[in-house]
This record gives sequence, structure tokens and C-alpha cells, in this order.
Amino acid sequence: MARFDYVRANSLHDAIQLLNDPGMVSKPLAGGTDILVYIRQEEPWFDRLVDISRLPEPIIVERDGTQIYLGAGVTFAEATRSELLNQTAPLLVDACRSVGSPQIRNLGTLGGNVINAAPCADSLPPLVCLDAVAHIRSPEGERQVPVSQLVTGPNRSEVKAGELLTHFSFATPPAGVRSTFIKLGRRNAQSIARLSMAAMGRTNAQNVVDFARLTPGAATPRTERFREVEARLLDQQLTEELLVAAGEQATATMLEVTGRRWSTEYKELAIRALAERALRRVLHNGHGAC
Amino acid sequence: MEIEFTLNDQQIATDAPPDITLLALLRDHLSLTGTKEGCEIGECGACSVILDGRVINSCMVLAPQVAGRSVITIEGVRGAGGGPNDMQENFIDYGAVQCGFCIPGVIMAGEALLTHNPRPTREEIRWALAGNLCRCTGYQQIVDAIEATAQGRANGADNPGDHGEG
Repeated sequence: MARFDYVRANSLHDAIQLLNDPGMVSKPLAGGTDILVYIRQEEPWFDRLVDISRLPEPIIVERDGTQIYLGAGVTFAEATRSELLNQTAPLLVDACRSVGSPQIRNLGTLGGNVINAAPCADSLPPLVCLDAVAHIRSPEGERQVPVSQLVTGPNRSEVKAGELLTHFSFATPPAGVRSTFIKLGRRNAQSIARLSMAAMGRTNAQNVVDFARLTPGAATPRTERFREVEARLLDQQLTEELLVAAGEQATATMLEVTGRRWSTEYKELAIRALAERALRRVLHNGHGAC
Repeated sequence: MEIEFTLNDQQIATDAPPDITLLALLRDHLSLTGTKEGCEIGECGACSVILDGRVINSCMVLAPQVAGRSVITIEGVRGAGGGPNDMQENFIDYGAVQCGFCIPGVIMAGEALLTHNPRPTREEIRWALAGNLCRCTGYQQIVDAIEATAQGRANGADNPGDHGEG
């Protein structure tokens, strides 16, 4: 006898209804790259998988005015190929390119990556750095939650049973803002991030920082913008000393949140170096002193 | 449950439980054992097949998910006469096969690559194989064989593959 049942949703409406069918526990199935590993190792806690991987709505990437809409069902590979994302969110494209292998990138989705909420989820730091908002559908309608608040801790998300994450939205970054994503893993392919860094930034004609965002991944239980680092940079002349100070602030902010843990000895040095490197990439305009 | 899909360019219908993987469907229910079972957690690539034109791990897909879609397995990669195609010949000529366990998956990744990028650089070939572990060859000969296949196809040599999706 099968350990669970399977049903394919034919529309978003259909999916929400199926997920809320009384008398059984249903779970959405999109890319499957986490669920399939889970059901091999554990007895499933759900009665039925609702296949949402073939719905048209969640696989769209489009621009509406200054907003970018990114379907939760977009795979890492599709995100990598999206011209719109390459133009507006290169840090997210970099992160998607760093996930797993070609086989995994062809299956795994951005929505699944966020909802499963692994501390090392590669798409999380870029989405938080972009101030992306998650759109969550239920029988009662839609609610919106910033991605930084959606993931509340390791493997915990705000999305409740019967709800479905349909898409993300974020504002197109202002002209001239550059972005990057750096991942530290044990090798280039098939690697789990030990630490990652998403950064966005811009310096003006006077080489003064006028836009700065920094979001480390796998550093703190919640993935958040490090606003103390951003404040340290804003309106300052870009110098080597400023980048060093920003890196030191990144370490200090992480320690404030996590305290000293078994991995701190490594991470306090690594986060400083990654923050410096990422910020140098996005802020250095070729004219200044550093 | 009844699952209808296109397997190696042939429409088929088969009855299978809803909780098995595509890999189990291929090997245990359809007796297509060319697709190998390795890690079963999406890391080794031995079970790679092409789903709607893209290479995926068949251990990461539930069998009913392929309903209405097209799956190409290693059994669907062959020359016009039914023997090896040009890529498979090149794997033999370049010594790219040792124990052979990973090779069906590697061929699927190679074919998918050449479908979408007919003239890859060596670096691109290496990235395309990032999801296929080979513990014998060190990859060098595999990259050589795929590179030679791309060159051969670009030079108009026979491409005896009998399906368009690679």
C-alpha cells in the first residue's frame, strides 16, 4: 500500500482547495528535491502530495512598472536564464547558479528553497537583500509577508498548513546599483553554503556611498539585512579603511545575534572577509582610492 | 494509479503506486535498467534522465509527476541502426568508460548539454557534468569524448541520435 497519495492541481484555485480538503493532511509538491530526500529517510507526516509544479501562475517572471514579480515555482535554472532577472537582480542569478547541480537546478524552485528554510538556502540572502515580499494565498485571500520575516529560523517558516506561497515581488533596484552574491562552500559544485553574502551598493560621482545593503546567509538563525553595516557605509567616502570597518561591523553584528558558538572561530573571520569582498565588488567604481 | 507519458518517443501507459520515484518506475516497473540507482538523494547523477528536454535526477521526481511529459532514458539514446550513437562511440574511442556505472547518467547530461549548447567550451562541459560523479576516470576522457562529439556534430558528421531532444 502506498505511503501517501498524489494529486495534481490544475489551477491555483484547485491547489488551494486541495490543500484545504478536510480529513487529510496535504502538502504541496513543487520541485521535489527536498521532499523526495525526506520520504526516502522518514515516514511521511502527510497523507497526500498536491503537485503544483505544472501550474502556470507560479512560473512567471515579469515586470509591472518598477515591481518585479517572480513566481515561487520558477526553477533555479529558469531564474538563471531569465533576462529580466539578469538585468534587475544579478545577485539572485548568481545564487541560483551556485545551487547543487544542473539536474537539481532544473527541478528545485525558489519558493521551495525559501519555504523549506534551510539556514544555508542560497536564494534567501539575495531575496532578503532585495527586500522581496512573499505573496501567500489561502481560501481567505492573499497576504504579503517580507521574506526576512517569512523564515523565522532554521527550517521554520511563517507559512501555515493550507496556505500556498505563490510568488515574490521586489522593487527594481535604482539605476547604477550593483549587486553580488558570494558563497563559501567546500567545493564549487553540489556544495552546501557554509556562509554566503549578498550585497547591493552604489557610490556617487564624489565616491561617496549612497546605497548599501548587506545580507549574510547561514550566519544568523534569521536571514536579515545587517543594518548596522549599511549605516556604517552610507554617506561615507569609500576608502579601504571604510571597507575594513564594514567587515568588522559584520562580524560584530553576527556575534550580537548568535553569541559565540562552535563555528564562531571560523565564521567571525570568514564573514569579515566575505563582507569586505562583496562590498568592494559592488561599491568600487574604478575612480576612487580603493 | 495509471500514468501516461512519452518514454523514449513512445506513448505508454502504466500502472504504478503514487509514492514511488521515476527511477523506481523505470527500473522496477518498466525493466529499463540502463538508468542506474546510486545515492537516491540527488547527488550522484547516476539516475539522470532527460525530462521535457532538461536533464534531471530521476530519484528526485515522483513517478506520477511525469504524466503527459516526455522522458528520455539511456535506452532512448542510440544510433540509426540501433547501436551506439556518435557520443557513445566517442566514449569508447576516448577511453571514457571504466566501471561504467555512472556512464548512462553522464551520457544523458552530455546529450542535454549539446541540445542546448551545441559548441560548449571545455569549462562549460565540466560545469554541465557537475552533477555526475565518476570515481574511476577523473573526468578527463569524458570531457574529451563530449568535446569530440560536439566537434563532430558541428562538422556535419552523422548525428545518428534518433530524437531531437538530446
